[in-house]
Amino acid sequence: MKHLFACLLLACSTSLFAAPLKVVASFSILADISERVGGERVAVHALVGPDGDAHAWQSRPSDARLVMDADVVIANGLGFDTWLERLAASAGSRRVVLASEGVKPLDQHDDHDHHGDDHGPLDPHAWQNVANVRIYARNIATALIAADAAGESYYRERLAGYDAELAALDADIRQRFAALPEEARKVVTSHDAFAYFGAAYGVRFLSAAGVGNRSEVSAAAMARLIRQLRKEQVPVVFIENVNDPRLIERIGAEGGARVGGTLYSDALSGPDGPAASYVAMMRHNADTILAGIQP
Amino acid sequence: MSAPDAFALACDNLTLGYDRHPAVHHLDCRFPRGALVAVVGPNGAGKSTLLKAIAGELEPIEGGYRLGVPRERVAYLPQRGELDLSFPVSVFDMVAMGLWRQIGAFGRLHPAQAELVRATLARVGLSGQEQRPIGTLSGGQLQRARFARLMLQDADLLLLDEPFNAIDSRTTEDLAAIMQEWHAEGRSIVAVLHDFDLVRRVFPHCLLLAREQLGFGPTAEVLTPELLARARTLAESFDEHAPVCHRHAEAAQ
Amino acid sequence: MIELFVSPFTDFEFMRRALAGCLALALGATPVGVFLLLRRMSLMGDAMSHAILPGAALGYLAFGLSLGAMTVGGIVAGLVVVLAAGLVARSSILKEDASLAAFYLMSLAAGVLIVSLRGKNLDLLHVLFGSVLSLDDGSLLLIAAITSATLLALALLYRPLVLECFDPSFLRSIGRWSPVAHYGFLTLVVLNLVSGFHALGTLMAVGIMILPAAAARLWVKNLPAMLVCAVGLAFASGLVGLLGSFHLDVPAGPAIVLTAGLAHILSILFAPGGAFGARLYRRTHLEA
Repeated sequence: MKHLFACLLLACSTSLFAAPLKVVASFSILADISERVGGERVAVHALVGPDGDAHAWQSRPSDARLVMDADVVIANGLGFDTWLERLAASAGSRRVVLASEGVKPLDQHDDHDHHGDDHGPLDPHAWQNVANVRIYARNIATALIAADAAGESYYRERLAGYDAELAALDADIRQRFAALPEEARKVVTSHDAFAYFGAAYGVRFLSAAGVGNRSEVSAAAMARLIRQLRKEQVPVVFIENVNDPRLIERIGAEGGARVGGTLYSDALSGPDGPAASYVAMMRHNADTILAGIQP
Repeated sequence: MSAPDAFALACDNLTLGYDRHPAVHHLDCRFPRGALVAVVGPNGAGKSTLLKAIAGELEPIEGGYRLGVPRERVAYLPQRGELDLSFPVSVFDMVAMGLWRQIGAFGRLHPAQAELVRATLARVGLSGQEQRPIGTLSGGQLQRARFARLMLQDADLLLLDEPFNAIDSRTTEDLAAIMQEWHAEGRSIVAVLHDFDLVRRVFPHCLLLAREQLGFGPTAEVLTPELLARARTLAESFDEHAPVCHRHAEAAQ
Repeated sequence: MIELFVSPFTDFEFMRRALAGCLALALGATPVGVFLLLRRMSLMGDAMSHAILPGAALGYLAFGLSLGAMTVGGIVAGLVVVLAAGLVARSSILKEDASLAAFYLMSLAAGVLIVSLRGKNLDLLHVLFGSVLSLDDGSLLLIAAITSATLLALALLYRPLVLECFDPSFLRSIGRWSPVAHYGFLTLVVLNLVSGFHALGTLMAVGIMILPAAAARLWVKNLPAMLVCAVGLAFASGLVGLLGSFHLDVPAGPAIVLTAGLAHILSILFAPGGAFGARLYRRTHLEA
């Protein structure tokens, strides 16, 4: 009888927490990290979904509703998604968690194409360095615990597991790039989003400076980049998943560089794609870059 | 020699209008071949509407009309409304379009045809104006050019809507003389006019229209004081409370 | 000298392609623009850039981010809007401008709705619109083909089109060319605009269509000369704009359009048809 009663109590207590914590993240990468850390105790929604472009996001009324109903709102910070902070403020001052708190930021590259949305002086793409994402995950875990104290042990356990996975990934990427000679480690991308990756893993990303994906391009900038490609014998150029590929293909064709696969900079791919989770994305990017450098 | 009952145009209970109000009611008349007919009447009498219908731009709401000549042999000169004078086209090019039936949409103008255009321009008194843009012509000159184009169409039935509106008297006289030449060439002409003096001088036949046919026949018999007085009493605007018209049914009984 | 004018083109293929693209656009779109101008439809280009959205959206829904599918979709949507507008203008009391405005707005709204149904925030039109510096083989082929078709159609339709512009009632009275000229012309406009958007972006496509035509209008008084003048101005703007973009490091599309704009301003100031034309070209008058 006592055992039955204890079981019932246990069943009741778990069912009391059956309703998951509502988490809203600004974009797919943060959403994925939140899901890994939060597990079953959270229901995560990304405002900018896979293959979406958070730079040009226009908020909709449904976004405001989601933010209002959410228990935890997660933004990247570093000027990437100030629109979410504004939205949260206007939707009733839910405190927004900045995932990048504590990350050592890089300065914004001078010629970065802002897509009409000013990031400000800092480069926001901190997640391109896996080590930074370990900090992200810690910050997100702290926020989840603050909103859901009862799940603390659960979150800590999941964080530990994820952190180990990230640490292994970080070391792996580091080691694979270190195995290559320095002059080989240079590539061109059309979007200036890989500064953190380059700094962390020792790859020189020649940004197609002034040749961003959406702004109007000057012939001088294109000529400059092509000359540089020819001079430095850069082997490969990459297209990203939110860009019009024609420009970068032309640059590659004339600069004597191959067009490599697709890199994922600001968003995950769809669930069937090669970058369906953050870890998959980083692995894919690393594989693709390496394959491009030495096929 | 045409058959004795050859006609250029016959109207059978022709009724034209807009939105149930008739502009022209129950018109029944026959224009013989080679007639030179003036259509007169007060403003709002339906004269322009009649010509529009014969030219094929308006559908009758009751009755109909029959053409005594093939449709391609009918030429229509509307009032000047739709012409865009700011368009960069020369007098020569505009007038040469009258030869459309011969050269079509793509044909080039043969030297003989170009000469014909020039000769026609000379006949209407526009020699030397060939290369001027049409926007620089005066009202009278523009009307001469339109007449020249009409002539080049070489039609058997010509419909002219107020051809001498706001035109200087010299041009009017010159163009009226040309109309008489056409008449002499055996063409049928129907012209809407306001100048009774001109009508009496130049047009042997006349149709007095005041929504309905008040008179049709030799000009002297139509332009009488009694008929003209009747025409003048015609209401100009549509009457919202007018009863349904049964006139034709009554006449047939 | 050579360094300034020739070597950018000899050194870089993208510059050669851009120049070829400008030439094609000048030959195809600019004459169409002259007629648009004369028919008082100059603002149509901007309207069309919005009207094609539902077609591009449907192409995207069906085939994903395929430029081919979206361009074809855009052409179909553009044709539907333009032909429907023309039909309504001819058969109702609405004039062409009102009719077109009505349809392009409906089309744009439909397009926004369709895009939002998918849920993804993809700035479709930005993906669809190209840039003069990134002309790949497919794009070059597209504008070359449209240009050839346009030149052929204009040569064939020249007379009916001119008549349709300045004396439509006469054209109606001599046959059934009126709808052919009208709809044929509208089709040419859509084809040139959409292929222009695809290859070169909206700014350049519309800019090169209208600005040289507006400038040429101020200089010459007869239509054939106006067409030649406009095409020449268009190509010159392309050339000068590209060189400016190369040597002064300014974006290419805007540079080309601003060059055409500069030509227009100069025309307003100095041409016989311009603001000061009467004063500048005063000559003693003749006897008769």
